[in-house]
Amino acid sequence: MNKKRINGYLLAGMIITGLMLLMMLIGAFHTPFDPNAMDPTSKFQGPSLTHLFGTDNFGRDIFSRMLKGGGTTLAIALATVTVGAVFGTLIGALTGYFGGIVDEVLMRLNDALTAFPSILLALLVISLVGSGKYNVVLALGLVFIPSFARVTRTAFAGLRDVNYITSARLMGASDLRIMAVHMLPNTVRVLLPAITIGFNNAVLAEASMSFLGIGVTPPDASLGYMLSEAQSMLSRAPWYALTTGCVIALLVFGAGLIGEGLQKMDREVAA
Amino acid sequence: MKYALKRIVTLLLTMLLVSFLTFAAFELISGDPAQTILGTEATPERLAALRHELGLDLPFLTRYINWLAGFFSGNLGISFRYHIPVWELIAPKLEVTLCMCLVSFVIIAAVSVPLAIWSYRFVGGPLDFIRTAFNQLCMAVPTFFVGILMSWVFGIVLRLFVPGDFPDLHTDFAAALGHLFFAAVCLSIPRIAMTVRMMRSTVIGEMQKAYVRTAISRGNDRHAVLTRHVLKNSLVSAITFLGQTMAELVGGSVAVEQVFSVPGLGRLLVASISTRDYPVVEALVVILAFWVVLAGTVADLMNQWIDPRLRLGGKA
Repeated sequence: MNKKRINGYLLAGMIITGLMLLMMLIGAFHTPFDPNAMDPTSKFQGPSLTHLFGTDNFGRDIFSRMLKGGGTTLAIALATVTVGAVFGTLIGALTGYFGGIVDEVLMRLNDALTAFPSILLALLVISLVGSGKYNVVLALGLVFIPSFARVTRTAFAGLRDVNYITSARLMGASDLRIMAVHMLPNTVRVLLPAITIGFNNAVLAEASMSFLGIGVTPPDASLGYMLSEAQSMLSRAPWYALTTGCVIALLVFGAGLIGEGLQKMDREVAA
Repeated sequence: MKYALKRIVTLLLTMLLVSFLTFAAFELISGDPAQTILGTEATPERLAALRHELGLDLPFLTRYINWLAGFFSGNLGISFRYHIPVWELIAPKLEVTLCMCLVSFVIIAAVSVPLAIWSYRFVGGPLDFIRTAFNQLCMAVPTFFVGILMSWVFGIVLRLFVPGDFPDLHTDFAAALGHLFFAAVCLSIPRIAMTVRMMRSTVIGEMQKAYVRTAISRGNDRHAVLTRHVLKNSLVSAITFLGQTMAELVGGSVAVEQVFSVPGLGRLLVASISTRDYPVVEALVVILAFWVVLAGTVADLMNQWIDPRLRLGGKA
């Protein structure tokens, strides 16, 4: 690896995701119009310079709503991935490092859980705890724990008997130190792609749940919720569905490209 | 044979566990069904009478066993909302969802295998980037958004079907199938992208193995090696993946049914969750779980049957 080749996937992904993040970030502080302000004089207007993405049935500016809704979707997705990654890594690290009967039982449970479509599991949790944005984070976070646990467990179990870990142990390093200082940095290369995939699944899952009307509840609006609104006025305002859907797709696409790029980089380092 | 038996026992045990967990979860959370049915103004006497009638005054394990027994005899309880037996509510929807998933499954299997072989040609070439990007894009677009686009293009602009009006499956089978076809295509797209991606990497892995080099050095045409030898060896992982697909389709169908207003299990599930119709949700969860586990088991058994290496206890 003396000559660095440009990783096209990573670059393209980062540009797309960076732009989206920037937009949502700006949207959190400033939107061109009040996202919830109704204006009966400008219903169903097509995209124009004043209303970039047009207006909906109440005359609300779709671009402003998209910025706010995108922010909600993003926040939920990030929170979800954080919950899943932190707890999943913790469980995976402990079971992978110590092994034993707990490891066996948890991994069997894990196998059973990952066989299930994540959206169904999330729906089950929602049906038990009710909808709303915090419950969505709870439901999706719980659902994502197993996949992170599995990835980390495999990595930790593989490192357990590697020479440098044995050496560290001989030098008297505590289990905690070995896990945190010696093993964790070496699992980053499997964790990062898992995080990007998790982020994608989180965005899609949140969007589907809100689309189905069992995700965020008004006054919160997320991209999925907006898309369900958009479907009801599809013949009057097709731009509403188009723009909102494209924003979701771009968010997921960008993160997907980053994941692809990370995996490619990993292959190149390994080769 | 021994293996098949073992798998089937595992399947039954898993189902037992899943049904127990579901029952326990809903038992914990759903509160008192008698109260739900009678409303807040019910007298304590009537509540007690209904509880006795529903068997709610029995111990937990007894109720679980009763519920499980009811499950196999088609008695899944009464819907809180519609006041009719849950099975009567579920049965017609199950047919519809099953039809849609099967159509979708056929599309996925028929499209993705040739596409994966075809896309192998681009490996390492300049078009590879575009192919990967397109693949990622197909996975990135949410199914319900594709659904909305499709119902707009084919439904509102081209008028090939009427969005929101699903023909009856029994009286007008052809029209219903036509409607389901659009929904099934929409359901298939991301899964096709995933299957192609998975198969492609398997094929790339297989092509680097010694037997391929041998076959080519003996003068075989690369393409023939690909379709005759490599494809067969890639099937094991493809079948496992398609088994998962069958499971994932049920999950995906929830949103697609909503978009195309297909009266299937997914819509019933969502509606029942919103109205807290717990007997229906409970029954649906167990049915869908059974579907998922069954798909995995069938894929496993098929692999055993296809690949002698697995049958003899080796590793593929």
